[in-house]
Amino acid sequence: MSVNAPRSVTELQAIVRDNERVHVVGNGSKTALHNAHDGAASAELSGMTGIIEYQPSEYTVTLRAGTPVRDLAAALSQQGQYLPCDPLMGASATIGGTVACNLAGSRRYRYGGVRDFILGAEVVDGLGRAFRVGGKVVKNAAGFDLSKFLVGSLGRYAIMTELTFKVFPDAPSFRSLRLDYGPLEEALRAVYFINQSAFELDALDLIPGARGWSLLARLAGYDETLPQRVERFSSAMARETAPLDIEELADSGSLWNPLADLAGGCLVKVALSPKQIPAFEAALAGARRRYSVGGNVAWVATDEVDALDAALQKLALTGLCLRGAVKSAVIGEPIDNVLAQRVKQVLDPYNKFM
Amino acid sequence: MNRAFFAALESIYPPQRLLTRDVELLPYESDALTAFSAKPGAVVLPVNEAEIVDTVRLCHDHAVPFVARGSGTSLSGGSLPIPEGLTIGLNRLNRIKKLDPQQRIAVVEPGVINLSISEAAQPYGLYYAPDPSSQSICTIGGNIAFNSGGAHCLKYGMTSNHVLGMKVVLADGTVTKFGSESVEGVGIGPDLIGLFVGSEGLFGIALEITVRLMPQPEVYRTVLAAYDDLGRAGDAVSMVVASGLLPGAMEIMDRLAIEAAEASVKAGYPDAEALLIVELEGESIQVNTEFERLQGIIQQSGAFELRVAESEAERTRIWKGRKGAFSAVGRLSPDYIVQDGVVPRSRLGEALLAINALKVKYGLEVANVFHAGDGNLHPLILYDGRAVGALEKAEALAGEILALCINLGGSITGEHGVGMEKRDYLPAMFSEEEIDIMQALRRSIDPREIANRGKMFPGGEAPALKLQGLHPLEKAGVISRE
Repeated sequence: MSVNAPRSVTELQAIVRDNERVHVVGNGSKTALHNAHDGAASAELSGMTGIIEYQPSEYTVTLRAGTPVRDLAAALSQQGQYLPCDPLMGASATIGGTVACNLAGSRRYRYGGVRDFILGAEVVDGLGRAFRVGGKVVKNAAGFDLSKFLVGSLGRYAIMTELTFKVFPDAPSFRSLRLDYGPLEEALRAVYFINQSAFELDALDLIPGARGWSLLARLAGYDETLPQRVERFSSAMARETAPLDIEELADSGSLWNPLADLAGGCLVKVALSPKQIPAFEAALAGARRRYSVGGNVAWVATDEVDALDAALQKLALTGLCLRGAVKSAVIGEPIDNVLAQRVKQVLDPYNKFM
Repeated sequence: MNRAFFAALESIYPPQRLLTRDVELLPYESDALTAFSAKPGAVVLPVNEAEIVDTVRLCHDHAVPFVARGSGTSLSGGSLPIPEGLTIGLNRLNRIKKLDPQQRIAVVEPGVINLSISEAAQPYGLYYAPDPSSQSICTIGGNIAFNSGGAHCLKYGMTSNHVLGMKVVLADGTVTKFGSESVEGVGIGPDLIGLFVGSEGLFGIALEITVRLMPQPEVYRTVLAAYDDLGRAGDAVSMVVASGLLPGAMEIMDRLAIEAAEASVKAGYPDAEALLIVELEGESIQVNTEFERLQGIIQQSGAFELRVAESEAERTRIWKGRKGAFSAVGRLSPDYIVQDGVVPRSRLGEALLAINALKVKYGLEVANVFHAGDGNLHPLILYDGRAVGALEKAEALAGEILALCINLGGSITGEHGVGMEKRDYLPAMFSEEEIDIMQALRRSIDPREIANRGKMFPGGEAPALKLQGLHPLEKAGVISRE
């Protein structure tokens, strides 16, 4: 497999034109996506980095796809802003890989996911054409919105070279709580209560423990109002959902990294709805896991990926393997769709990106 | 439409749901872009999914162009009939099939009225966020086609950001589903929802839509600030943004729009060159603190009057003037064109000065109403359609405003879509290659180019321009424009 590290869009176009198969890599942090691409020329975007335009007053940022997510977060944070879809901070994860895999962290709960914050992109398609999709302003309804289509596209339709996002002001302070419940059903009832309440949480995760299930809840805002808000939230939860215990935790980045305790084994993302969790739990057979985004995303670490694949198929759910030696990164219910195939015919008719 | 096609339609629809007589077709000849009209070959009124799918397949087999229509409130001519084509009226598919407050989702048919979803969700403390000004009448199907926005887009996004799942019939009759009940929507694999929403009816028809609902904020705090200079109101927006506050809405109206709103709904607005409305929403403790900061900023911004809505009634009155501004302007002038350009927020002041210069150049009045938070301008160009050449002059002015938006780094449309109205401006925003790719995409989904033929892409036969005033429903005060 030949490895190429283009430094420019023109170089990338040449790689796409000159090779029969091309496999795009950011920094290669999602190892499961890079198995089984023998014979393809690899195009590594780790050399195409940097923020091109960042205007805090516009709430927009444009950057090269190979930029590490960490660098983006640091630049935004200097201006008191953040990307609310909360890209997961792997050691070297790139923003392009984040979009291609549609990966968002726990803070996605508050304002939305990658699809909700992407505004536009520059891409190179399977014919080697370089073009722009979407726009650069926070609101745009002109033309087909192919920029959203790129979210989750796994590098199979076009290679992103530049991306534009909407960003928001970040909160100055945070407080985190753990609420302990007994069986899963009780913890889910608490999630449903929060869903119908006016409490605006920054993040809400659901984690299994030795004796039962816990909710992790985070509030964001001003120092002067947070104590009162935490108190109000806690007492409402105590009154309405009868937790066994409520404990305030030291707020930290690692507390809100849903993957923090999932090292080792094959790491899989599953999008599901809270009401699918009980059936998913029954099929999981004890793999390590955490439910993020109010129970809408499951992160699973397992050594038995075939069993997980079978469980997902039974429930008509799809999983995306990010780490581990798997034949296919997509497991469970296949993602083939006729509309996606039509787009493929236009952007990559010769299957360069497989 | 040939006889075989028509006979096949008759086998699907009883006569009362297959409209062909002139008098029956008349209400369908225009949408809210009233300067255009066209007579459809026929209108069908399906009552279920199967009828829609059969109809689309029939159109594909006979290469008959079709347009799906909800309530016909498109401001870009998106639901304008295709001459001699078929109009598929979807209002009768108006069931909310499922409402799950625990998971905050609703599953609806395309003809469901936008506001009906919020009404159904209200008892559970939930609502459907996108709020185009026509929300009391526009349908979700139309919102999907045009990715409709509203006054509260900056914080929570447009229609596309609130759709989690869809079942659609593509223009060639293929039925497919994507998305889920998870807030992740598609989650894994390309975001087909993002692609379909906003495709202006060129890909097909949405048959069933899963939307996400949001909890109603505990409180709203709304402030109205009056300025003796439009630029100063724009600067105030920049100051609010720089402060780190994230308001649910920031709206500006200029003198002409204020006067019109005042004359029409008597909102009690101050006599001013510009009004700024800022609304915060959320948990009361947080919002009260934010609101103090906001008031401090507005005071520093040079507002000569500051009004705080002390009750829900006062808040409603502030919004009533804003939401009714478009139809109010209709009272000042026999006709007007609404524009929908977007500029980077920091260049709002520049854009307004340039629009003022264009007013003078063309000798036409322009009222300005805009979503300042996201730089979305809605200049209303006033003209008298009875005067020879007036519409053409107004359109030329509108064209210059669109060019201005592009030059300032923005977009020709923020939320109304390209439709019929702005199709000739698409090349100003996208390169020939980019448009070719979009065209190829369209043909890969709709090889016969029958779905909403003549919209979005430049060229093609334009239906006759027609000169008339407000939409009949607007005249009756039922709907208003954003």
